[in-house]
Amino acid sequence: MLEGTSGDHPVQPQPRQGHLEQMTQGRVQIPCSMAGEEDFVLEEKRFKQHCEEFVKHSQQIGDGWEWRTSKDLGDGYLSKTHFQVRNRHIAQDLREKTNDNIEETLLAHVEESLDDSQVAGVCTTEEVIRYEYHVLYSSSYQVPVLYFRACFLDGRPLTLEEIWGSVHACYQDRLQEGPWDTITQQEHPILGQPFFVLHPCRTNEFISTVLTGPWKHNRHKNYIILWLSTVGPVVGLSVPLSYAKVAPEQNSSTDSAESSSASSLPGLTFQYFAYLPYFAMRICAEREVLGHC
Amino acid sequence: MTDDKDVLRDVWFGRIPTCFTLYQDEITEREAEPYYLLLPRISYLTLVTDKVKKHFQKVMRQEEVSEIWFEYEGTPLKWHYPIGLLFDLHASNTALPWSITVHFKNFPEKDLLHCHSKDVIEAHFMACIKEADALKHKSQVINEMQKKDHKQLWMGLQNDKFEQFWAINRKLMEYPPEDNGFRYIPFRIYQATTERPFIQKLFRPIASGGQLHTLGDLLKDVCPSAVAPEEMWLSNLRIDLR
Repeated sequence: MLEGTSGDHPVQPQPRQGHLEQMTQGRVQIPCSMAGEEDFVLEEKRFKQHCEEFVKHSQQIGDGWEWRTSKDLGDGYLSKTHFQVRNRHIAQDLREKTNDNIEETLLAHVEESLDDSQVAGVCTTEEVIRYEYHVLYSSSYQVPVLYFRACFLDGRPLTLEEIWGSVHACYQDRLQEGPWDTITQQEHPILGQPFFVLHPCRTNEFISTVLTGPWKHNRHKNYIILWLSTVGPVVGLSVPLSYAKVAPEQNSSTDSAESSSASSLPGLTFQYFAYLPYFAMRICAEREVLGHC
Repeated sequence: MTDDKDVLRDVWFGRIPTCFTLYQDEITEREAEPYYLLLPRISYLTLVTDKVKKHFQKVMRQEEVSEIWFEYEGTPLKWHYPIGLLFDLHASNTALPWSITVHFKNFPEKDLLHCHSKDVIEAHFMACIKEADALKHKSQVINEMQKKDHKQLWMGLQNDKFEQFWAINRKLMEYPPEDNGFRYIPFRIYQATTERPFIQKLFRPIASGGQLHTLGDLLKDVCPSAVAPEEMWLSNLRIDLR
């Protein structure tokens, strides 16, 4: 179950800007909302096609994604499992509480774990967490939706509070404005088990921005790659840059790199834009280590 | 909708007599008496069982009490399903009152969503309403409402106030006169026998030829296995129309 976009205008955020806002100012011109122009609608058939291409590329680079078909109705979803090491430590200058019950700030780091020597004067324990990510199609909103669950190796699942706490620091402002609009626990529509869901709030807004107007020619690009590279990092899922080479409209070939170099400049700009949040995440992660975030 | 008001009231005020019994392995300081309650069909277990919780907590030590959850004949009950749906799915063929077992330990993480506060229930309820409106009106009606209208819907449900609820909900049940119905019908079909929790698909109220679709058309289209071809015999189907 998913939420549509809120009809109200949200309360203006606090004066402190997140890194993402600072970085995008003056760099990438994002056109104003394209409301009124045609909406780009992702139909289920197209969703499946893009997932197929996505999995094909994943297999080429060993990224671990697979497509699972449900036995009864023939629909399906993308699935990936990976393990992450999480350091639990008390950050001296980052004592933000995402919830009154949380006493420590938990920081999750994409892929690499922190080098203990870089975090001065704290006690660290490493924990391995198993993450399972699913991408399903929502026929109600006609967008893909990211479901995930996480547990420790002994089987203990992470709580919603622990998940909220592990959302990257760059996104904490947005999360705290409306946690119930961002990540909640829901029933998986095919498996019937509890999963966490990243709400597709504004998925259509930001996707439409990149696929209409001056970037309309990008409509043949892989929707899943565009979408997942933007939302995935929010919950610890990275999409390697290699996916930018995928060119959906062409026959699969091992020389996909060549076909993308023939893209026009706006195409490359689009690909840069798609990965902007990814870059923002990486830079934020590095700055955290140095204690600036 | 006005001629349907009797039906709307009957749906709203539907009740299920229920007997709550504490799970035998819960540790108590004295014997726990069962607790009887009339449950509203259209509400949610965790929203209407504060008295049940208080009743059993009186005989338990605080350290023995963590998140409450409910079970029927070994099956954990999903609080995020409407109560009427749970009853129809699991117990409709048994004698009343409905016997539910109350637990305070060993929360079944793999089966149930957590429900630590009323906020969780409100968020879930509003998400359902919003998704339904995405299907009916492309979210236009729900998005045009103010936050206080959303709140009124929720308070109407929470406080069992039919008029308060329908003052807002009627807007979500209207469509422009030039259309003959909603864009798509919001529905879910539940079957106790499947791993898939429910069937939900896009379904238009009007056929391409202009005639109105019936419930039978919908069932034949999305769930043919449940429908005998010769007659519309509905077996083991629970339909939740929001």
